[in-house]
Amino acid sequence: MKGGASSSTRRRLVPYALLGPGLVWLLLFFVVPMYFMGEVALRSGTLETGFQFNWEFSNFSDALSRYDENFIRSFIYAGVSTVLALAIGYPLAYFIAFRGGRWKNALLFVVVAPFFTTYLIRTIGWTTILSDDSVVVDVAGSLGILDLFQTLGFTDTDNRLLATPVAVIAGITYNFLPFMILPLYASLERIDQSMIEAAKDLYSSARQAFLKVTLPLSAPGIVAGTLLTFIPAAGDYVNVIFLGSGNQSMVGNAIQSLYLNLRDYPTAAALSFMLMAVIFAIVVVYIRFAGSEALMGDEEEAT
Amino acid sequence: MSGAWKWLRRNAIAIYAAIAIAYMLVPIAVIGVFSFNDPAGKFNYTWQGLSFDSWADPFAVEGLNSAMVTSLQLAALSTVVSTILGTLVALALVRHQFLGRRAANLLIVIPMATPEVVIGAALLSLFVTYNFALGFTSLLIAHVMFSISFVVVVVRSRLIGFDRSLEEAARDLGANSFQTFRLVTLPLLTPGIIGASLLAFALSIDDFVISNFNAGQTETFPLWVFGASQRGIPVQVYVLATMLFAVTVFAMAFTVWQQRRAERMAAMAPEREDDPYATTAAMPPAPGAAGG
Amino acid sequence: MRGLSRTKDPGKWAPWRALLAAGVLAAGLGIAACGGDDDGIGGGGSDDVSVAEAEGEPSGTLNVSNWPFYIDKRTVGEFEKETGVKVEYNEDVNDNSEFFGKVQPQLERGESGGRDIMVVTDWMAKKMYDLGYLQDFDKDALEPAFANLVPALESPSFDPDRNFSLPWQSGMTGLVVNTAEAPDVTSVNDLFDPQYKGRVEMLTEMRDTVPLVLKADGINPEDATEEDWTAAIDKIRDAAESGQIRKFTGNEYTKDLANGDAVAVIGWSGDAVQLQADNPDIQFVMPDEGCMLWSDNMVIPVGAPNPTAAYAWMNYAYEPQNQAQIANYNYYFTPVDGTREVLEEEGSDAADSELVFPDEEFTADCSTQDEPPGGPEAVADVEREFQSVITG
Repeated sequence: MKGGASSSTRRRLVPYALLGPGLVWLLLFFVVPMYFMGEVALRSGTLETGFQFNWEFSNFSDALSRYDENFIRSFIYAGVSTVLALAIGYPLAYFIAFRGGRWKNALLFVVVAPFFTTYLIRTIGWTTILSDDSVVVDVAGSLGILDLFQTLGFTDTDNRLLATPVAVIAGITYNFLPFMILPLYASLERIDQSMIEAAKDLYSSARQAFLKVTLPLSAPGIVAGTLLTFIPAAGDYVNVIFLGSGNQSMVGNAIQSLYLNLRDYPTAAALSFMLMAVIFAIVVVYIRFAGSEALMGDEEEAT
Repeated sequence: MSGAWKWLRRNAIAIYAAIAIAYMLVPIAVIGVFSFNDPAGKFNYTWQGLSFDSWADPFAVEGLNSAMVTSLQLAALSTVVSTILGTLVALALVRHQFLGRRAANLLIVIPMATPEVVIGAALLSLFVTYNFALGFTSLLIAHVMFSISFVVVVVRSRLIGFDRSLEEAARDLGANSFQTFRLVTLPLLTPGIIGASLLAFALSIDDFVISNFNAGQTETFPLWVFGASQRGIPVQVYVLATMLFAVTVFAMAFTVWQQRRAERMAAMAPEREDDPYATTAAMPPAPGAAGG
Repeated sequence: MRGLSRTKDPGKWAPWRALLAAGVLAAGLGIAACGGDDDGIGGGGSDDVSVAEAEGEPSGTLNVSNWPFYIDKRTVGEFEKETGVKVEYNEDVNDNSEFFGKVQPQLERGESGGRDIMVVTDWMAKKMYDLGYLQDFDKDALEPAFANLVPALESPSFDPDRNFSLPWQSGMTGLVVNTAEAPDVTSVNDLFDPQYKGRVEMLTEMRDTVPLVLKADGINPEDATEEDWTAAIDKIRDAAESGQIRKFTGNEYTKDLANGDAVAVIGWSGDAVQLQADNPDIQFVMPDEGCMLWSDNMVIPVGAPNPTAAYAWMNYAYEPQNQAQIANYNYYFTPVDGTREVLEEEGSDAADSELVFPDEEFTADCSTQDEPPGGPEAVADVEREFQSVITG
């Protein structure tokens, strides 16, 4: 080993070396473009007359007030979808991690494989399954589930699932399931079985062992999974297009239409930044609640 | 009756998992069924009749084939690069305290929160401003960019609470940092890395909006399908999608079968010095322990 | 999860860090602002539009951007053989607005991204032209093509002299109806009939939907005022909010019609033909008040590397023999005179289709005018109104 002083300098530089390539990539290809987008967000005008740089901060507040309904819908849909994805994904991830055995990787592949078929085709599959006179809707109707949804205010019709919030949420949940399952799996798989056995040796029941050992230890995975699901889901727009209608429009749809149909680049950019800001605020609150240890792992430096 | 109830409770997780997996595969089943459809028009929306024609000639649509190949290449490359970069970043973020750590954490999360149309358009402006040719390379850059964050988050959730004592033990036994990393840390990280790379692959192969902006005239599979859907979706799309799915599933099943075979052979034959299949786990694993 | 966090401070942003970050941001934006207040984003069309001159014999490579499935398989190969020009045929136009979004930065700088020909719909062609992104045709080089252009398309309102656009294929926007389920739908106003609540759809394309609604109310789009447009949009908004209109679509209405989820929609003639092949009840219905006539046009962008070859391609496509192949494949309204005779000789069904060869009577009430009235600001207002209906 080299002398003390230079080895500790080397050690201090290690994190930067590790971070380097990835962060440089993000800096170059994300931060810089977004910076220019920020500049566009402060312009005003139209494409035909030219966009002038006016320090137009009102773009941001206008965006928020004009699309307030979209914001509310986005966060409700994303939130519900995240909870559903957690409910469906956690047991599945648990099964793969603990009972998967040598099939683990195969099962993981099965979880992700639907993505290879492209979003459009998958969704066409769903529109076939959920179409107005399909088996699913028939059964749901006769079981009174559709009426229930209408009473609870989830939808405003009682004879279909498509073009309602229910279908949109179902679509978002489905499409983001792998984002929930993979981090959960990564975190669950690491749990040392002997700790669970120790708990059982100490007379805890299976349920208690789960609640007191497994669940807390999988917290980083839960936090990661919910973030990976909620954050992109809030900005999603495709599910509304295929499974919903204009009444379910989310912020993502508004941004799409501002950018492509209205060609109002400043408002589109401003709305995007507002979306990012609100998501960021939610995430900060969430982390404070969940404990930043679970997210960032405030570890003492080990070596 | 209570026997059945007990069986149910013990296997509840397995049953639940089976239902969840079935749910995930339902649309795939529909796609598979429709790949055997025989529509008269250009749309493949309603069942018209059974036909094997499309399966007999799955590569009939030229644009589709090259788009599929491009997508696979792009996804493979993007996965490798983003997984490496992302894993390194995750290591740095979890294991080290340094100035700018919180900022770096933030930088990782923000791209996930940014709407795709904005990332796509912003990146396009960047490329055009600096006269960077649009095509496979620009696509690769974009795909790696949006995948890194996801890789970091997945790997990080595995790293947190990682038992460092194993690494300390290795170091006590004389291994240097690099060897420790390669022989202890990395293998233990592998499930997280696999999960992250699967996610990165899925993200890349399914991406539409960002690719649309930055592909120039290159076509990827989703771009081609979305474009084609304006006029009709050839049944071959369904066939190729089903094929891709089936191939991956079979490939994984094959590796599992290989593994089993190897283990069985090792268990039967006496261990030899140079036996490549020799494992130290010649004894059956302890009950309840995670296998694999 | 509370129990897991150690007692470390969850982390407050040190105030000085926040100030530093804000300072950097402000400085950067200040620099950007100083860099001129119109650095290259928009600014209207240039006054001098260049003409894409033809030079000598066509040679080299031709790069075409077209919509998918808009050409049969043989035409490209046969063109290559006849002229010796190599063709790079790309099907990367899948939506006018999306295509615009992705080529705009390059066109802004006078580059076409390698493209010699792009195929975009009327209104998008006009928009691009007004922004200075297109070149005028060298009309001499296109004489053969213009000689065969059908009279109905010779002088559209957006390009009366056909200076910069030449139709590739044309189409009609009208009603696509499942005549078994909704036999009484003959006008766009029937889409507002409560008996079809939740089973009708309209297009996200404002320039198709609103003029049709105007026509159904007896207003000629060419004479419509901004108030007329706003009133029509309000009518549509009410129907959307009440659930009368199931959704606004691109061409996803095809799936809903095929499924039975929708029974009557505003849609395009070419799609109707495809749907009919699998379900004879689904038909294109010409609204009582008439349809919208549009074309997907070939245009030459600024910076096109090989206009000479582009003209060769256009002339080639306008020969009735070659057009017959394309028309037979597409079943859209063909812009080339003389195609019908060729198809009749070949015994193709397309020759009899009133969708491919609509007669004067069929399209008597159809309009081509689809822009809202007024200058760019007024148009932007109307567009915003309509978008707010579509995206809530």
